[in-house]
Amino acid sequence: MVYDQKVGCTRRSHNDSSKTTEATYCPVGQAHVICMVSDFFYPNMGGVESHIYQLSQCLIGRGHKVIIVTHAYEDRKGIRYLTNGLKVYYLPLTVMYNQSTATTLLHSLPLLRNIFVRERVNIVHSHSSFSAMAHDALFHAKTMGLHTVFTDHSLFGFADVSSVLTNKLLTVSLCDTNHIICVSYTSKENTVLRAALNPEIVSVIPNAVDPTDFTPDPQKIRTNKITVVVVSRLVYRKGIDLLGGIIPEMCHRYPDLHFLVGGEGPKRIILEEVRERYQLHDRVRLLGALEHRQVRNVLVEGDIFLNTSLTEAFCMAIVEAASCGLQVVSTRVGGIPEVLPEDFIILCEPSVKSLCDGLEKAIDQLKSGNLPSPEAIHNTVQSFYTWKNVAERTEKVYDRVSNETVLPMNERLERLISHCGVVTGSIFALFVVATFLFLMFLRWNTPDSLIDIAVDATGPKGAWSHKYSCKKSRKTMANAKSGSSLK
Amino acid sequence: MEGKVYSDIHGEEIRLQQHSYSDTCQEFTVIRPKISFRSLTGCTCAVWLAAYGVFYYTQHSAVLSAAILCTILGLLLYLHLVKIDQESLLLLGSLGLQKSLTFASGRESTVFLEMCRVQDVIINEAISMSRVHYNLCILLRDPADPQGPSQVIPVFQGSQPRLECLVEIYRSCQEILSKRSQ
Repeated sequence: MVYDQKVGCTRRSHNDSSKTTEATYCPVGQAHVICMVSDFFYPNMGGVESHIYQLSQCLIGRGHKVIIVTHAYEDRKGIRYLTNGLKVYYLPLTVMYNQSTATTLLHSLPLLRNIFVRERVNIVHSHSSFSAMAHDALFHAKTMGLHTVFTDHSLFGFADVSSVLTNKLLTVSLCDTNHIICVSYTSKENTVLRAALNPEIVSVIPNAVDPTDFTPDPQKIRTNKITVVVVSRLVYRKGIDLLGGIIPEMCHRYPDLHFLVGGEGPKRIILEEVRERYQLHDRVRLLGALEHRQVRNVLVEGDIFLNTSLTEAFCMAIVEAASCGLQVVSTRVGGIPEVLPEDFIILCEPSVKSLCDGLEKAIDQLKSGNLPSPEAIHNTVQSFYTWKNVAERTEKVYDRVSNETVLPMNERLERLISHCGVVTGSIFALFVVATFLFLMFLRWNTPDSLIDIAVDATGPKGAWSHKYSCKKSRKTMANAKSGSSLK
Repeated sequence: MEGKVYSDIHGEEIRLQQHSYSDTCQEFTVIRPKISFRSLTGCTCAVWLAAYGVFYYTQHSAVLSAAILCTILGLLLYLHLVKIDQESLLLLGSLGLQKSLTFASGRESTVFLEMCRVQDVIINEAISMSRVHYNLCILLRDPADPQGPSQVIPVFQGSQPRLECLVEIYRSCQEILSKRSQ
């Protein structure tokens, strides 16, 4: 059922996108002012960072005003402008651990309030459950009566002490948040269970792949040699033990079969052992750790992509491989069956025998030559997970959220105590009251009317889009000088 | 006193006087309110009452003399170093820019920037303490490296006018600077 929903969604958006490919600026019914908050943003590199950046760019293209708030990275502090007038606030907050800021739930309120007021933010969108700043911003936004959205990018366990604690904090943080977004249905299940949420307020919006990064190689010459590519971290969770069983089996059956393995990890020793024992040095190449930009060049060297994961929330690797025009063989676990339609993927049980059968089927198809060309596969897959589609669906969440009411103070306290347990609930209810009093004090000390309204760089009245108004463009240009070095 | 009335970012009233000497020469003066008698008395009374409190327990008359000295010294330093009465920016299109500060004690501090070093005048956004605000800045260029600004000098830092007032000054500055380039 989950799969059906997903396919329906993808198809519809595919039709939408084919209609509006020409228009870069789509007029929207309701323009929102969105503030993305996360501890993780460029110059730090990673999935969350690029997600925030790409999503913001697409939302700007759709006519919304977007700003990003993160903490200062060494000398990168203050206010910067990125491409298309995306404004980033690098706030001087202390970093505690692993690029996450220290939190007291109080000290960041004056600065965040100032930003929310001067930018006239109406939706605060926090990212990543590891980011303390994201939770702080959610907390303050709710106190100030703004709409809140949260995106969870990771899966958690339930068993050990640290995950029990983080799950409790997540319950507190999300119990009065308007809407939550997860990257796959598996991740949704996980989040709903961890934070004891009502599943109706949790949406699934997958990540996207930049189709221009993952393209097939047009210069590739077809030979008799068949290459199977594996790109993953070499850990137990990725099923490397299975791979160790598959390699000798398949090499025995097909003399022209080669394996190309990218990635590093503790299970590398298994593959090396296999290579030694069966004398496969010329047929199994281990490439070691790969950078993200190298992945495409490795993928296009192969014909078949093999994924042996034992558990997976949303497998980005198989989408990237399919986008490069490869035939995908994968295990049927976690969220993987959701990801690609059946004619692009061969699903197997996580066992050596089943995976060998799957590979055999893929090789037969390849040899018989009745497969669509890599370009055809690329063209179909590139429409599945586009940032444009992600932005459209996120926009729907914003539309829905902005029509909801933010819980007033008394209901919020009741919700906390009834939802999070008496002890935790009461402690955080005290914090809520303290923040509220602090906010009252700040409002008395510097009334909203004394805070200058910022000049919009993006959005319906964005200075960035009206370049001919001399004053504003000069001002933003000077500000952007330092920021432009980034992109 | 003539001049337009604006407010600074703390909500206090400030006055902007604009003298136009010629087409390419203008002076902007931001005048802050004088020190009020009430706040002065209030502060002095507070220090003295605290001193009397301490004196009551310790019975040491040195506390009282110290309090008097503190108030007088504190007031002198405050008037001489902290309290700014007016701030001005003089723009001579052919010559340069002069920014000056007048403290309540009458002390003046002046900085002159030659026109060849001035690249532009901009309004910038900055985060300071726990607020984000706009300020007017002068971009300087390094004569050795004509590409890009070498230094940013903020003006009207003492009076911190709001955006409305800054835009007014900015427009006039740009008019003069644009004539320079012609």
